[in-house]
Amino acid sequence: MPVSSRRQLLSATALVAFSAPALGRSITGRMPWKPNEAYPPELARPGGWYFLNPAEVATLEAITSRLIPADDLSPSGKDAGCVVFIDRQLAGPYGTYEWLYMQPPFSDNPLPTQGIQSPLTPQQQYRLGLAALATHCRDSFGGKTFEQLAEADQVKLLQGMEKGEVKLPGLNAPRQTTTMLFNLILQNTMEGFFADPVYGGNKDMCSWKMIGFPGVRYDFRDVLDNPGKPYTKPPVSIMGRPDWNGKPA
Amino acid sequence: MRAQILAAGFLAAASLLGAGQARADADNFTEVERGKYLAILGDCMACHVGSDGQSMSGGHMLETPFGRIAVPNLTPDPETGIGRWSADDFNRAMHEGKRPDGTHLYPAFPYTSFTLMSRSDNDAVFAYLQAQPAVKNQVDRSTLPFPFNVRLLMAGWNMLNFTPGTFRPDPNKSDEFNRGAYLVEGPGHCGLCHTPRNLIGGDKGGAHLEGGPLQGWFAPSLTADRRTGIGAWTEQEIVEYLRTGVTHRSTASGPMAEVVELSTSRMTEADLKAIAVYLRERAPAPAASNPTPVAATDSRMRAGEAIYLDSCAACHVGNGAGVAGIFPRLADSQFVQQGDPTGVLRVVLQGAKAAATPHAVTGPAMPALGWRMTDQQVADVATYIRNSWGNAAPAVTADQVKAMRSVAGGH
Repeated sequence: MPVSSRRQLLSATALVAFSAPALGRSITGRMPWKPNEAYPPELARPGGWYFLNPAEVATLEAITSRLIPADDLSPSGKDAGCVVFIDRQLAGPYGTYEWLYMQPPFSDNPLPTQGIQSPLTPQQQYRLGLAALATHCRDSFGGKTFEQLAEADQVKLLQGMEKGEVKLPGLNAPRQTTTMLFNLILQNTMEGFFADPVYGGNKDMCSWKMIGFPGVRYDFRDVLDNPGKPYTKPPVSIMGRPDWNGKPA
Repeated sequence: MRAQILAAGFLAAASLLGAGQARADADNFTEVERGKYLAILGDCMACHVGSDGQSMSGGHMLETPFGRIAVPNLTPDPETGIGRWSADDFNRAMHEGKRPDGTHLYPAFPYTSFTLMSRSDNDAVFAYLQAQPAVKNQVDRSTLPFPFNVRLLMAGWNMLNFTPGTFRPDPNKSDEFNRGAYLVEGPGHCGLCHTPRNLIGGDKGGAHLEGGPLQGWFAPSLTADRRTGIGAWTEQEIVEYLRTGVTHRSTASGPMAEVVELSTSRMTEADLKAIAVYLRERAPAPAASNPTPVAATDSRMRAGEAIYLDSCAACHVGNGAGVAGIFPRLADSQFVQQGDPTGVLRVVLQGAKAAATPHAVTGPAMPALGWRMTDQQVADVATYIRNSWGNAAPAVTADQVKAMRSVAGGH
């Protein structure tokens, strides 16, 4: 009975539509406004480590400096503050996936459309993953830690992790693979390098200067009126820039 | 058929009356309507609005330099409002600043201006107030601290600051000018904010409508000074500002936004024109105050320019021109160039909301910037805005910003 079921579907939909509580706030007359209304970003606290332990910091400083080596274009990932950024993120809501649904069941063989199927939070992924890396280095490189390896060996190891050719002990799909660990660190390093300096990385807006990103400016009418001319304004962070905030951003 | 038309007409008329005036009876409908308009001219609602947002049942606390005063209930409730007052009582309050029992009202109630209102206008306002629904709302009328809670003190205050008066039109001026004078000096009580106060809260002598601080804002000068007053405003610009809350020169915000929304935007075009004529012809410009602008090379100006570029220019544009109809112009702005930077600092620290009127419905808002700038940074950007693009006004200090921050609150 196609007609009747279609009708049933429509009326069921209508019923849901009309009986769902109105969650939105209706605004009439004028836009709401409150004095002093502001939602300031949580600034990265300077100094110390809030989640990572010293061994993890040393390893991540080496990894981020291999992923973003110091050169003519920018300082290294470590000197840009990427490890500070990662530490502060892990200590914050990101570290526990506070906003994600993290209850089982987790699929052992997930479809790509199923998204994250690991029960491990970023805090656990870093802690377990870096421990596995330390074990691997100790066993395969005569008791050395990752940061004690020659740079060429570090790069080679990272490449092996990226391609899945190196399998760190104890890391198994679908909870955590070696490639997943590499990708996580790479992702967070890039985020730290390019995010606003208020979050701990991108020191002195170094990455923005490198690629010519203007920062939190959002109006370019002055520039649009002068096509073909170089853009000369300095980048600006959420909390300003050294020309007026007295801080090196 | 004819009976039906009549009946329908009667019903329509009855429902119109019912919708407009709850308690108006046929024999004073015109008087009540006249009083309603006069109450708009006087912006009674701005202070006397009750917690219901509809009635004039009062109750909210008015900030004054001498303490907080709870605004009385003007509805005809016999116990808590003015239901037992007579028209004579009301006229006495308006004309002499006294209650029916002879005790003194405080001049936060602008009887110093309302004293110029005619008896017939006061009667009309009274008729309107009495025609409103009574709302029971007991207001504590003794909230001021000692010694200001002694109402008898106001007798002395009145001796120094107040003479009951009547409006005397200037025979050498047009009817329009005189109507404007009556509106501005009488019911409109513009001077309550726009005239600086003396130490005891009276009008500062010889400074009529020269602008003054109040409630953590600054009401700009209304003199013919071109830099700080309305000397450069055309009649049409003044009318447009009062009617819509916005012109290419300025946008009403803070307490003036309320005045525009509740009062001036509801005035007739003829009355707005009369106000404009009066303000423009009222008095010659006082001795021009042309401060030398702070040099662009000054370190405060350099820092201010960088802050402006990063934090202000996106809306107000690099050259301070703003965007007509939405972002106020800062270059050649009177608000920006007042001698006292209170208004500018308030807006920078706390943000601001423009008036929203039926003629300019958007009511654009400016976000608060106090959270991301230190006192010195706010001072520098204010100094820059006040001394760029042809503007000139005294530099702002971090101490002034600090003082403003304690008033404006926030982060």
